[in-house]
This record gives sequence, C-alpha cells and structure tokens, in this order.
Amino acid sequence: MDLITNLGHGFAVALTFNNLLFCLIGCVIGTAIGVLPGIGPVATISLLLPITFGQPATTAIIMLAGIYYGAQYGGSTTAILLNLPGEVSSVVTTLEGYKMARKGRAGAALSIAALGSFFAGTVATILVAASGPLLTQVALSFGPADYFSLMFLGLVISAVLAQGSVIKSIGMVALGVSLGMVGTDVQTGQQRFTFGIPELSDGVGFVSIAMGMFGIAEIILNLERPEARSVMSGKVGSLMMTREEFKRAVPAVLRGTVVGSLLGILPGGGAALSSFGSYMMERKISKGRHEFGTGAIEGVAGPESANNAASQTSFIPLLTLGIPANAVMALMVGALIIQGIQPGPRMVEAQPDLFWGLIASMWVGNLMLLVINLPMIGIWVKLLAVPYRHMYPSIMIFCAIGVYSLQNNVFDVYQTVVFGIFGYLCSKLRLEAAPMLIGFVLGPMMEEHLRRAMLLSRGDPMVFIERPISAVMLGIAAVALVAMLLPNIRKGKDSALQEGG
Amino acid sequence: MSWTLRRRSLLAGSALAVAAAQQARAQSGAWPSQPIRLVVPFAPGGTTDLVARLLAAGLQERLGVSLVVENRAGAGATVGSEMVARAAPDGYTLVMSNIASHAISPAVYRGRIRYDAVTDFAHVALVVSNPTVWVANPRAGIRTLADAAARARSASGLDVATSGAGSSNHLMVVRMGQLVGRELNHIPFRGAGPAMQAVIAGQVPMMSDSLPSSVNHIRQGSVIAVAMASAQRHPAFPDVPTFREQGFDLASDSWFGLSAPAGTPPAVVERLNRETRAVLADPAIRARFAELGGTPGDMTAEGYGEFVRREVALWAPLVQASGATPD
Repeated sequence: MDLITNLGHGFAVALTFNNLLFCLIGCVIGTAIGVLPGIGPVATISLLLPITFGQPATTAIIMLAGIYYGAQYGGSTTAILLNLPGEVSSVVTTLEGYKMARKGRAGAALSIAALGSFFAGTVATILVAASGPLLTQVALSFGPADYFSLMFLGLVISAVLAQGSVIKSIGMVALGVSLGMVGTDVQTGQQRFTFGIPELSDGVGFVSIAMGMFGIAEIILNLERPEARSVMSGKVGSLMMTREEFKRAVPAVLRGTVVGSLLGILPGGGAALSSFGSYMMERKISKGRHEFGTGAIEGVAGPESANNAASQTSFIPLLTLGIPANAVMALMVGALIIQGIQPGPRMVEAQPDLFWGLIASMWVGNLMLLVINLPMIGIWVKLLAVPYRHMYPSIMIFCAIGVYSLQNNVFDVYQTVVFGIFGYLCSKLRLEAAPMLIGFVLGPMMEEHLRRAMLLSRGDPMVFIERPISAVMLGIAAVALVAMLLPNIRKGKDSALQEGG
Repeated sequence: MSWTLRRRSLLAGSALAVAAAQQARAQSGAWPSQPIRLVVPFAPGGTTDLVARLLAAGLQERLGVSLVVENRAGAGATVGSEMVARAAPDGYTLVMSNIASHAISPAVYRGRIRYDAVTDFAHVALVVSNPTVWVANPRAGIRTLADAAARARSASGLDVATSGAGSSNHLMVVRMGQLVGRELNHIPFRGAGPAMQAVIAGQVPMMSDSLPSSVNHIRQGSVIAVAMASAQRHPAFPDVPTFREQGFDLASDSWFGLSAPAGTPPAVVERLNRETRAVLADPAIRARFAELGGTPGDMTAEGYGEFVRREVALWAPLVQASGATPD
C-alpha cells in the first residue's frame, strides 16, 4: 500500500526532534490565542511568519498548522466557561456548552470537546491522506448556484429549528442578514449602510458582534442577578463525563465528523458552516434533542468535532490545488511561497517530505493538543471558582484588548460595547442571538453567490433548478418550509420542543 | 523628535559636552534612533503584506532599529494611508503606498478621501511592480486575445473573473471592453483565490489577475496565460505575448512602494530610498520576488513621486468608465 508507505515516510519526518518541538510550540501558542478572546489565528500567524523564515519549510508549515488547529481547540474553552466565542466556529459551542457549565458540567463539556476534536481530527487526517485529490473534485463541482442553495437551506433550517417563537427567530435571521449587508458591495464597490463611517466600509466586525451579543451581554445579565453569580462559582462538578453522557456523545461525534469533513473542503467559511450544520443536525435527530437549550452534550460534541474535522480538511484545496480556502490558508500559501515552494498538484511529488510530513504532523499535533488540554481542564474549571467581582473586569479587559488587536482600531471596541447592550436587550426580550449570527455569516455569502450565479446565467433564474446539486438543496429547503408552515405539523414541533422545556 | 532631544539633554545633565554631541548627531542625521512603524493598508497575508515583511526584515538590518509592521486594512486601503498622511513627518511612520490607495481609491472615493495621494506624501521608493496577466481555462477554447474578443462579440458574451470590484484588474476588464467594442461580463470575487478556483473549475472561462496570484497555476498548466499586460514580455514567461503584440493597446502593472508623510526631512527620505534599493538589490530578495512574478523597483525618490502622479492621472478616467463609486 502506497498510502501506508507514504504515511510512514510522513511520520518519519514529523517525529524528528525539531519538527516535534515546533509542532508543540505551534499547538501551545494556538491554544493560548484560542483561549484569549478576540486574538485569532490570522493575526498570530502573520506576526509569527517572519520567525519561520529561518526554519526549513516543513518545520515552518508544521508550526503554523499547529497554531491553526490549536486555536480551534482553545476557542472552545472560553466559549464553554465564559460564553465568549473567540472564533466564528465556537459561537455554536456557547449555546449548549455554557449551559452545561452553568449546570456544573463544565468538566464534561471540556472533555468531550477535546476528545471529540481529537477523534474528528484523526478521521479527517486519514481522509486528507487517502482521498484529498478526489475530494478536490467535489469542491470544484460546486458552482455559485449550488453555494447559494446550500446556504439558503442553512438559513431555512436555522429558522425552522429555532426555539420559541418562529416569528422572532425569523426576525433575528433577517436582522443578521441586514447587518451582514453593511460595507462595500462586492459587485460594484459601492458603500452600503456605512453612514459615512470609514471603519464600516469592511462591514461590521464578526468578533465584535459575537463577543458583544454573547460575552458582554452575559456579564450584564449576571451582574443584574446576584444569585446567578454564586451559582457559577458554587458548582464545579465532576470533571469526567458520566457513562450516560459518553453514550450520548458518541453518535454526535461521529455525525459531526462526517459533516465537518465534507463542508471543510468547500472554500469560504467551511469551519463555521460545519459547526452550525452539525448543531442543526443534532438538534433535529439526536436522542437528546429535547434537552437542547438546557445544556445537551450532543450540542457540544457534534459541533466541536465538526469544526476540527473541517479545519483539517480545509487543507485539501490548498495542498491539491494551491488555492487557499480561508484567510489562514492564504497565509500558509504566503509562507510556502516565501520559502520558494509552490503549493499545487505537483507538490505531492515535488515535496513529499512537506506533504506527508504535514499530514502526519496534523495527527501528532492533535494528540499533543489532547495531552495539553485534558490535564488543563481541571485548571480551567477552577477559574469558575474565582469570585465574579474579580472575574468580570478581567474578561472585559481581555475582550477589549482582543477586539482592539484585530485591526488596531478603537472603533471595534465601541462596536463591541454597542452589541453588548443590544445583546442584553435581546435576552430581556427573549430574542435568540444565534439565528442572528447565522444570518450575519451566511447572508453576505448568499448574496455574493446569488448575484454571481445570476451574472453568469445572464439573469436567468432557471440556473438554480437546472443544476442538480442546487435543485436538491432547494427541494429540501422547500420541504422544510412547508413543514413549518403547515399548522398541524408545526403544532407537533412546538409540543416536542416544549417537552424539553 | 524635539521631545526625544529634550529628554536626551536632560539625561545628559551635567555632562554638557555629551549633550551637545548628542544634539549635533541628532540634527545631522541621528535618524533613526527609535523603532519605525511600517503601516500596511491591507489585511495580513496578501502579497503587499508579505513583501512589506520581507522589506522590513532587510531595512531593520541596515538601519539598526526595528521596523514594526502594522496592518490597517479597510476602505480600498485608504484607512491606513490616511493615518500615515496625518502622522508626524519625522521618518518614524511609513506606509506601503500602492495602486489601490494611491491611484484607484482617490478616484473611487473622490471628495470623501481625506488625503491627496500626491501632495500629502513624501514618496520614498517603488518596491515592486507586478504585471497583469489574463489567464483562461484550458478547455474554454481561448488561446489568444482574438479568441477572447470573438467570444465577447458573440451572442453569449465573455465572462471575466477578477479579485474584486474597483481593483486594477477590474479596470483592465473595463478598458478591454472599450477596445473590443463590447462590454465584457465582469464577475467579481472576494480575492484572487476564489476567482482562480472558479476559472480552474470551468465556471468562468477567463480571469484578469496580477501575476503573483496566477504564477503557480500557469506553471502547473491548470490555466493558460493568454496575454501579459506589460510593455515588454515577462522574462519568466517569454512565450506569453503582450496585449500590444496582439493588437490591444493596454499595458498596466500593479505596484507598491514606500511612502512617508509630506514634510519628512529630505535627508531621511534620501536615506530610506538608498537603503530600500539596497535591500531590493539583494540577490536573495530578488530571487523571492522573481518567484512571485514581480519586478523589484529601482527608482529615485523623485522618480517614484512622479510615477505616482502619472498613475493618478491614468486611472481617474477608467474609474469613471467603470462606474465604481462609494455611494
């Protein structure tokens, strides 16, 4: 078997002392920036890029990759403990993860996040090694019309499955889509809804919205209810999962791994889309679906596995086509080019050390992250015992620093404050923040693909039905919409949700 | 600067002679005596950012102080540029000026932009220029610009992808449409990567791109280079004819350089120009730029200033033709 020989070669490269050391450094840095809210892998990798100039290309890329998936691991920690999503992909983790922490199951949530991520990472690594080129063809067969229909389906499902009032959640999705429209129009370069504020020309910052709506709003709510604060510091609970929790998490991890591996290869927001996708799936089909909204372990296990699988498979377009799927991958291309290596189809033959070494190091890195993170869980959970009056100012300061560091711009801090207050009002009015964020992330992408598909078809909307992938997605969306609108089916759905409380 | 001097004099205290010497040194070119900020008006990871970091590493060695690269992206690269235009002209704040912030955006954001690309800067040196290349999917049946023009005039028209609206690549599409006599169907993407993927997948037959983001795909044969929009053929691609050779009068490079706020002492500008050109002459740097498909600049400070002036005049009418406005 070529695959085994090649992987063996890869491990020989990845397990040299120097590469192991840099893999470890990358993972530790990645975990740290993941834990610190706001400081993302893009900024960190770009800062550390010059350091890698002096290292061999393989070592450099192994370290940068470690930072990337380390950040995915670390990001879930603050999402679960503090309701602070640092990355797009950890927004979903806050939904059930933070609820679990409030129930005293923070340890279990962190454990399943780490274990699920490790499992998904392992599967995705094998997938990258075995069928990278094949999966590339799948990614290439997605045209603009297909992307639009996929995202439309995502929005419809997020509205259908929302808790509580369907009207309210559709309203929040619409608000999110509108917020996503702020900024420069991709097609014409015109400014929309910027009110002459130059900082808005690149749109409203995702991190500002996510931190404001989740983290800051949560702090205001906690300060309002003195009893809530002691609840947090009172219950730490057992660190390990119960047998029951474990049993429920396993299928969610498996499903999340599949969803993440497939969506990760699609360019643009693969990791984010995959954690949303997995969350929606768990909420619909998992055994614990009635517990969603109160801290269901499936809601942590699925999305966490999905986003880690996606972050591995998003290397596929880079390694096989030389096309970066997201900003971090674009930096990787930069790092490779500076080293004089051309990413692309010939890289497998021309640079076997790099290609197979990187793949092997992904697995080694995931193992390291597990080893780093599992013992740390006890320490993280102890953080919850810190009195809230000391805790919340530090969270606020870290958020402010993190948001500021995104673009070195105070405007982003102001945005966070505005969304914090808005988020507080929303939870007073029982408006869910998650559908708004989904709308915010998917809306602009949908618009872009819709308009591109229409440009290419010369304004003929039939393109959405003629393409098989697109037609299937739209078909499913139509069925979901009809199901929601038919009163008797809807009544059934509401009562199913009410059962869970 | 004056604050630095005052502090230095104070520190010197009783040792007047030392203070005097320090002051003399400061006045006659003690620059640089503190870290220099190099503002990159784009998000990290782009070509400009990479080149800025390579340049910063070289300048740091030659100037003996550290250069801190700071990314200030936004509004067609005008946010970072405006910040530097307003900074103190002491030689400690520099910007990577470029075709977007200093030639195209001033026309796009006419009346809204709060700096003048020519008079608010002391332009230091051209760092690199990249030719624009038109590439096609190998199965699209477009081998020459004549094929492309024929497709454009046919009933179906010609789709051309670019890295984004308002970019120099987009304006090339507008200009080519004027030359062909039929508007081309411009398909903008968010960045060169997704656009290239659509071309390779065959969703869009052609793309107008700057050479660095196309170079690997041309070498691998996943796209074919149809024409190079330079005055001469590119040394790395001697087989690819230029637009002019194929009968279309179009030549444009995208470029970026180093600029300081207007009023920066001429001695500092001169020194920066000298050191930048020395860094760019380094064979290792040249090799890396060649890998990217770019040509390192070698202009005097006056030459670069004049170059920016010409570019501003060149792009304004094309921007108007493209209809790109911020409103």
